[in-house]
Amino acid sequence: MTPLLSMENLTGGYGDADILQSVSLTVQEKEIVVIVGPNGAGKSTAMKAVFGLLNIRGGRTVFDGDDITGWSPNRIVQRGICYVPQVDNIFREMSIQENLEMGAFLKKGDLSAAYDRVYELFPDLKERRKTLAGSLSGGQRQMVAMGRALMLDPKLLLLDEPTAGLSPKYMEQIFQISRDVRDTGVAILLVEQHAKQALAFADRGYVLAAGQNRHEGTGADLLADREIAEMFLGG
Amino acid sequence: MGILELLNFYVIPGIVLGSIYALGAVGITLVFAILRYAHLAHGDLATLGAFIAFAVVTAIGVSPLVALPVAVVATAFIAVGIDKVFYEHLRDRPKIITVIASLGIALMVRAVVQVIWGVDSESYVRGISRPDVYFGLRIRDREIYTVLAMILLVGGLYVFLKQSKWGKAMRAMSDNPNLALLSGIDNRVVVMLTWIIAGGLCAASGVFLGINTELKSMMGWHMLLPMFAAAILGGVGRVEGAVLGGLIVGIAEELSVLVLPSEYKAAMAFVILLIMLLVRPTGLLRGKVL
Repeated sequence: MTPLLSMENLTGGYGDADILQSVSLTVQEKEIVVIVGPNGAGKSTAMKAVFGLLNIRGGRTVFDGDDITGWSPNRIVQRGICYVPQVDNIFREMSIQENLEMGAFLKKGDLSAAYDRVYELFPDLKERRKTLAGSLSGGQRQMVAMGRALMLDPKLLLLDEPTAGLSPKYMEQIFQISRDVRDTGVAILLVEQHAKQALAFADRGYVLAAGQNRHEGTGADLLADREIAEMFLGG
Repeated sequence: MGILELLNFYVIPGIVLGSIYALGAVGITLVFAILRYAHLAHGDLATLGAFIAFAVVTAIGVSPLVALPVAVVATAFIAVGIDKVFYEHLRDRPKIITVIASLGIALMVRAVVQVIWGVDSESYVRGISRPDVYFGLRIRDREIYTVLAMILLVGGLYVFLKQSKWGKAMRAMSDNPNLALLSGIDNRVVVMLTWIIAGGLCAASGVFLGINTELKSMMGWHMLLPMFAAAILGGVGRVEGAVLGGLIVGIAEELSVLVLPSEYKAAMAFVILLIMLLVRPTGLLRGKVL
């Protein structure tokens, strides 16, 4: 089966240094894939590479039949990939509803169906849609950020450490919502610091270290592998 | 001194002057919010707008209020043009380079005004305008127009920013530029809109200064400091703050004559700016920290 997203031997970085060295990964349709690994492994960089925020010096990224290497973020959004950065991922001085509206900026016509879909996933947000996003708690901000990214009905959602700094309760909630999102037909590629919890919830995982692929497999297999657990998952 | 005298000779002129400052300060605050630099050519663009209206007034003999829309549109175009020709190339460089470039633009625009219209004082209408008396308050028509126009223009801008799709896009770009780009908002359009609005408001402020005083090639440059003081006082990036700041600076300048020699009137803006930066640099309405 042709994967929805396939990153093939991607090499590149922010300046002249190559942070990613020939990284490959795939995401199938409606699949949750997690990238784990130690700090500085290039996890977030790999995600930014998909979104064209990197200088790519080798390899390519194919999405849904199109080679999107070197596309502008704007064009990638329109093609069906939305990205939630780890920090600064909301418009603080705008209401929740306005945040969602900005997420659907490229969409023509009536937005009510898109609002309904997002508010169905995040019922908490609906009651507070007039509230300024900057006044929300960390977990709710993350929901606004995800909601904003879902407004364009993407086929693939990129989440950069969505649970960073959240309490275990919110972490569980974000994972649960991610499953709900996947069940509406959206594939998810996420980077996670909480490797064990993330692998337990994802369909498949990649272990990255020093900008290179180290291991890949189903979440359960990676968790069961004693060597990987000791090397990368903190015992 | 009675309360009426205080209102007639200090507060009312202060509100009028403040409204003129507010028109400029709103543009300054908007440029800062979206492009993140202080635009020093703002005052001289106001001068240019005032003289464009003067050209229309002298050419076809209409009132300056009729010439106002022409000046607003023309100056908005010129502001967009200046951005395209000069500032756009500097966008990815350190902002201070654009700030200094805008000082150069200020000198250029002023030189153009001086070459075309000379360095002498001009006025839109000859003769003396008598104030009407309302319940003891002496108010001239032109003063009513000035304050009314400011309220209408800024109110319109406020509604645009709150309600329209592109107005919200401007706020989004000011709030979080990276996320705005990730959301597919075209920043070239946002930048152009910013200059259309800032340029148009500049012209309005220049025309109303001309209507209430006289036209001089240095008129806008002298307004630059009070306009910046107003923007910072209100909180940089806050439209409503710029209006509040403009009114406070205008009234403070007029009231200062009560205790200081009138030569020091222009220093009031500087004093307010200094105090504000020391005491509360985010401004009254909590803007972005400079």
